[in-house]
Amino acid sequence: MNSRSQDANLLNSKSGTGSAIVAGSVEASLRLIARLPAPEGLEDRVIGGLRTVPRTARILHWPAALGPTGSWMRGAAAAAIVFVVAGGGWGVYTRVQTSQPSRVIVMPPRAGAGGGFSSAGAMRTPQTLNGPVVANPVAAEPDKKTGNAQSAQVKPLKKAPAQIAPVTSGPMHVARGRNASSQTTTPAAK
Amino acid sequence: MEIPNSAAADLARTQAEDAALAALVSQYAGALYRVAYSVLRNPADAEDSVQEAFLRVLRHRDTLGEVRDQRVWLIRIVWNIVLDRKRRAKTRPETDDVAELARVLPCDGLSAEELAAAAQHHAHVLGCVEKLPAKERQVLQLSAFEELNTVEIAQVLGITESSVRSRLFRARNLMADLLNHSRSIR
Repeated sequence: MNSRSQDANLLNSKSGTGSAIVAGSVEASLRLIARLPAPEGLEDRVIGGLRTVPRTARILHWPAALGPTGSWMRGAAAAAIVFVVAGGGWGVYTRVQTSQPSRVIVMPPRAGAGGGFSSAGAMRTPQTLNGPVVANPVAAEPDKKTGNAQSAQVKPLKKAPAQIAPVTSGPMHVARGRNASSQTTTPAAK
Repeated sequence: MEIPNSAAADLARTQAEDAALAALVSQYAGALYRVAYSVLRNPADAEDSVQEAFLRVLRHRDTLGEVRDQRVWLIRIVWNIVLDRKRRAKTRPETDDVAELARVLPCDGLSAEELAAAAQHHAHVLGCVEKLPAKERQVLQLSAFEELNTVEIAQVLGITESSVRSRLFRARNLMADLLNHSRSIR
């Protein structure tokens, strides 16, 4: 064999002396292993093993009713399959709602910070929040003549507003009560 | 379209496939065993590899007619199986000790001492072969088979013929260095 002789030349080209002999001994060892005979009865065992393997992958044949004589039935089956597939697809198409377009909130453009002052993140507080709570409210002394509570330091108003809420107890209405007492005492002073 | 619907035809085809497979087994089982044994050096593992190779053939029996060279094709199958097994069993201790080698080696006209010395020598050589890089070792092992020439080795390994030659050259040089080195140590 041609390639065999080339291999032999390759072997001999390796420095010609000791290493060729060494490589030859390597080849001899490997060939000795490669020539070992197969054990007795190997073929029978392999064939026996192949026979025990289940042959599951077989071709499924049409039933006898769907043979060449029953081509109309095959056509009907194909039409039924097409009908079921198309009907299912149509049902899914009609039931599935189209997704609504997402609401996009358009943010107003920020004022340009071209040299102006910024709010530094401060937020406007609405007036609907509760006001400050007075820790020790001043108790109003009732007037002996009129019976109305009057404070000595309160100056009477010249002109009272038309609608004034009545004085009620509680810390929230202290300031307003003072005004109310002055307003009620104004006619008596006159 | 006419669909063949005869169980007899199926049975005949199955029998023909079985006969072809049995012919393949009886023709190539020995060669495949030697290929497997040269790598695994374990008779049971080698036989299992041959069995597995023919099981793969059984699974792809429909494509048997498309195979040009069945011998090289089968050797390639068993070669892949053997390499896979060897890779998986890397941590397992080697079974090819000197006594095992002396048992399987032919002892034509050799005394017990000569046989033991030969087994020791071969075990040392085979141990050096195991130290070679995988590419060079595979080419060297396949080149030991007289059934395979360089072209067929290239087909089995899926490389070019020139690659086979260069790897074979490197493998022999490396082996010479390894054996010389071990000899100088002694």
